[in-house]
Amino acid sequence: MRIGAAWILAAVAALLAGGCAPVAPYQRGYLARPDMALEENAGTAKALEKTFAAKEAASGGASVGGGGCGCN
Amino acid sequence: MQAALALPILAVCAKAGAAEVGEIGISTLGYKERGLMRVIEPVLWGRAQIADVWEVQASAAVDIITGASPELVTNASGRPVQSITGASVVDHRTTGDLKVTRRFGDFALSASHAQSSEEDYHSKAYGLEGRVDLDQKLTTLTAGFGHSDDHVGSSIDPTLDAPRRTNEYLFGVTQVLSPLAVVQSSLAVSRGKGWYNDPYKLTLTFYPDQGLPVLASDRRPDHRDSVSWLTRLRRHFPQANGTLQADYRYFRDDWGIRAHTLEVAWQQDLGERFAVRPALRYYTQGAAGFYSPVVPRPQPEILSSDQRLGAFGGLSPSLRVTARFEGGLVVEATAGYVVDARSLRLGGGGSEAFETLRAAYGLVSVSHTF
Repeated sequence: MRIGAAWILAAVAALLAGGCAPVAPYQRGYLARPDMALEENAGTAKALEKTFAAKEAASGGASVGGGGCGCN
Repeated sequence: MQAALALPILAVCAKAGAAEVGEIGISTLGYKERGLMRVIEPVLWGRAQIADVWEVQASAAVDIITGASPELVTNASGRPVQSITGASVVDHRTTGDLKVTRRFGDFALSASHAQSSEEDYHSKAYGLEGRVDLDQKLTTLTAGFGHSDDHVGSSIDPTLDAPRRTNEYLFGVTQVLSPLAVVQSSLAVSRGKGWYNDPYKLTLTFYPDQGLPVLASDRRPDHRDSVSWLTRLRRHFPQANGTLQADYRYFRDDWGIRAHTLEVAWQQDLGERFAVRPALRYYTQGAAGFYSPVVPRPQPEILSSDQRLGAFGGLSPSLRVTARFEGGLVVEATAGYVVDARSLRLGGGGSEAFETLRAAYGLVSVSHTF
């Protein structure tokens, strides 16, 4: 498992460090598409994140300052 | 929780292209577990850009929870199983948050507040986040700090009012890889201290030597430190009119839990108005060091039979249909299914006492951009 995580970390680092090409502002039309957004709309994101967090031990990663819940 | 790592690069592009300055929306989630809980959750949200440099985001939600929750794990039948005791649960949780962002050229500073209240849990949280755009907005660095001040109560023990305080630190980078791809990776570190016991969970253990059975309350460490590392990739394929969306999260904490979450989705345009998005989410976790469905001898100081701390895996397929109408109206409908089982744990070794959870959910949201 640790080896898998290390490979993914290495791949992300490679993408961030050297895998990018220059992108002029006029080339960013596709990046502005709604399905390219990293976040879903706030209603969907909140509802689904809490649904899974209530049944799993892991949560978070995308933001800070969100507070907790009883989640029984 | 408020998703705070919005991508400013894309927000700026979207605004420039569509003259979009705000959005309001409402969504409703219906969630039902087989034989256990039912949840209805309406969420109202909005965001608005003011005078080019300010952005305000807010949301409010109510959770209406009914049904039954497993409270006792006992081996009275020979092997440990979950049983449901006590009266049916009826609870309402109200929550709201507000986030204000001010841009200063390539730098943006955000402050946020969130609070929630339910019968046995109250939470107040604050956040500060700074973002800086580099390299003509191809790279965005984010750093954030959050603090939450929670109070845990119990509907069966009115005297319980125990604090839990958490500090969170976030570091993230968003990188445009090409005109068709963007990736974001963020690391969130959480340090919590206070009451983590679940006042509703009990373990009743009978011993083969006919000794007296032991009834143990849920006892957990008074601290929890965790790390969540989340990476998200979006890649559009113009020839196929579709976009690949992939999210991976690695989580670990000092309770001994290690978890992986992978969600892969494909959003396919169907003409200019409609899109479908099939998705598959896979989750797997190892057990906390103090998880046990029976009370060992001698009885340890910390012990929990809550199966959410056991070893298991989960699969959740879902399908979303999106319809976009003229004037900025967007309607989304999502249907999903969740199955959590010990046999789904990556590599095997799921906790023997884990009882399979099956649930279905539906989510409808209507939003309007202006």
